[in-house]
Amino acid sequence: MSFRGTNASSGMGVAELSKSTFLELQRKKVHRYVIFKIDENKKEVVVEKTGGPAESYEDFTAALPENDCRYAVYDFDFVTSENCQKSKIFFIAWSPAVSRIRAKMLYATSKDRFRRELDGIHYEIQATDPTEMDLEVLRDRAN
Amino acid sequence: MTQLAETYACVPTAERGRGILISGSPKSNTILYTNGRSVIILNLDNPLDVSVYAEHAYPATVARFSPNGEWIASADVSGAVRIWGTRNEFVLKKEFKVLSGRIDDLQWSPDGMRIVACGEGKGKSFVRAFMDHSNFANCVRFSPDGSKFITVSSDKKGIIYDGKSAEKIGELSSEDGHKGSIYAVSWSPDGKQVLTVSADKSAKIWDISEDGNGKVKKTLTSPGSGGVEDMLVGCLWQNDHLVTVSLAGTISLFSATDLDKAPVLLSGHMKNVTSLVVLKNDPKVIVSCSYDGLIIKWIQGVGYSGRLQRKDNSQIKCLAAVEEEIVTSGFDNKIWRVPVHGDQCGDADSVDIGTQPKDLSLALLSPEIALVSTDSGVVILHGTKVVSTVNLGFTVTASAIAPDGMEAIIGGQDGKLHIYSITGDILKEEAVLEKHRGAVSVIRYSPDVSMFASGDLNREVVVWDRVSREVKLKNMLYHTARVNCLAWSPDSRMVATGSLDTCVIIYEVDKPASSRLTIKGAHLGGVYGLAFTDQYTVVSSGEDACVRVWRLTPQS
Repeated sequence: MSFRGTNASSGMGVAELSKSTFLELQRKKVHRYVIFKIDENKKEVVVEKTGGPAESYEDFTAALPENDCRYAVYDFDFVTSENCQKSKIFFIAWSPAVSRIRAKMLYATSKDRFRRELDGIHYEIQATDPTEMDLEVLRDRAN
Repeated sequence: MTQLAETYACVPTAERGRGILISGSPKSNTILYTNGRSVIILNLDNPLDVSVYAEHAYPATVARFSPNGEWIASADVSGAVRIWGTRNEFVLKKEFKVLSGRIDDLQWSPDGMRIVACGEGKGKSFVRAFMDHSNFANCVRFSPDGSKFITVSSDKKGIIYDGKSAEKIGELSSEDGHKGSIYAVSWSPDGKQVLTVSADKSAKIWDISEDGNGKVKKTLTSPGSGGVEDMLVGCLWQNDHLVTVSLAGTISLFSATDLDKAPVLLSGHMKNVTSLVVLKNDPKVIVSCSYDGLIIKWIQGVGYSGRLQRKDNSQIKCLAAVEEEIVTSGFDNKIWRVPVHGDQCGDADSVDIGTQPKDLSLALLSPEIALVSTDSGVVILHGTKVVSTVNLGFTVTASAIAPDGMEAIIGGQDGKLHIYSITGDILKEEAVLEKHRGAVSVIRYSPDVSMFASGDLNREVVVWDRVSREVKLKNMLYHTARVNCLAWSPDSRMVATGSLDTCVIIYEVDKPASSRLTIKGAHLGGVYGLAFTDQYTVVSSGEDACVRVWRLTPQS
């Protein structure tokens, strides 16, 4: 018997497309954000939506459902105090307080397994309402 | 962007039977006193010029300037002393725990290098006991040149001692002396006179002769109603200003050079200011009310403008006001309607509604209609007549009545908003809105009556469209603690919310909630009252007993 770590794991797989879309965002910068959803039938994390590089943070927050959980990756561009253009990748675990308990449990237990597939995330944010993933929060974390 | 425009300071916390300590700057006409956990720095020449130091974790007891005026040492009931700079945002120099109990007084050494503190608990305390008084010795002060010191006591006497040998050299004459406990004493800058204040509601100036005896030169009294609240508990001789503080917190400024001149009276709140109303007839008059029943009028740009003299001074829980009338409820079962003329209140009419009123609102267009919410229902009043009492079957936590008196919104403990239409004395439920995840704490209609906003204990605020009853602005979740109060701007474009988390947040209804303006730390302890005086000016009040006026500059 082999024990895989001490955290509870739900046994969700990660689709190949999810991993490759993330790599596209990271290396080729063709996406501003990617939103992932857990497909319970196929028992894996799949890509739900992607946003082009011209899209803004408002478009991203609008793309997240109000009442359901999601995982998201956002490429945040900013200018540092030394006037340097930088870019950091944020992983956002979107788990609104108004969503169903079952959804929250599912996304919480699958998160670790999924995160391990995404190599190159700079910061992680867990947001339970829109104020917790406000642009100010990202800006504060990046600096 | 927001900017603090004015602060209407609180007054020193005073309690009966105890003197209070106020101290002055060696360089200017600034005085220091404490209220709750704050240290107030007030400019006697311009009372609107006031700053507040709010870094103590426990109620502060005394604050004193260092001899060079650069630092302030303040102490609190936990025995901690903080030394901080007068300029530069009050940067903390040092903090240490001196005693294990309350610090009653502290003093800087003349070279500014040492501080002596006295109080309760183990630690430094008086080395010599002076047994010349027969009752509590309330205050002891060295003369400016150190040659003498004087003690004053609840036995109505003042005794003068030699500064070096601590021998008694004289006393304040009992001829024309105080008729009550003397709570505080202050020397004049030249050391030839002292100012004393007493429970007999007067202040006296004594000439101290070379042989150490004092004779009354002048007795000063402030105008007052003559009650217990006029007992004087603190005094300070600050250059040309003679400052006396009464039990009610009124600061009277007499002129040292012109003793017959009537004093300038400054006042403010001593306790949590729980409601704020802007009187409609003159937008610049702000009426604030604290739970101890004190109602004060302020004028923007001028400051303290008078206290509303009420016939009975019971505590006030809710307050609503229109031009010439104030409606209040307290902790008994009555609603009081008080006509107001200038600063005087007329005879109050009251009505007993049978249970404790929890919230109160007036139909602004016909103010004789009032909606009072109680624990399980509402009561509608016309004037002082109970028109109907309705048991709604759920626990009511907030209510509001539309300006035309035809509709009411009642918020419950479960967060649901119930909308009722009012015809005569009948309430008919029209809709129930569910969005809040905590008990509703405040509901307000917009001035143009097209919308209403509600806030709850779960720190969320929602703006609704009145006609369609749909959510107009959501995600207003930026407070980190319960929402206490809410106000609409006169043009109905902005909503300001105040919370226990000490912040005031201003949202624009047409923009997403994320583009909000935040005023952090508006009032230590929580914001309890909010109102707009005009499009770009917000007034807030809170637990720190202060009222602050903020200017909003429109965002580009």
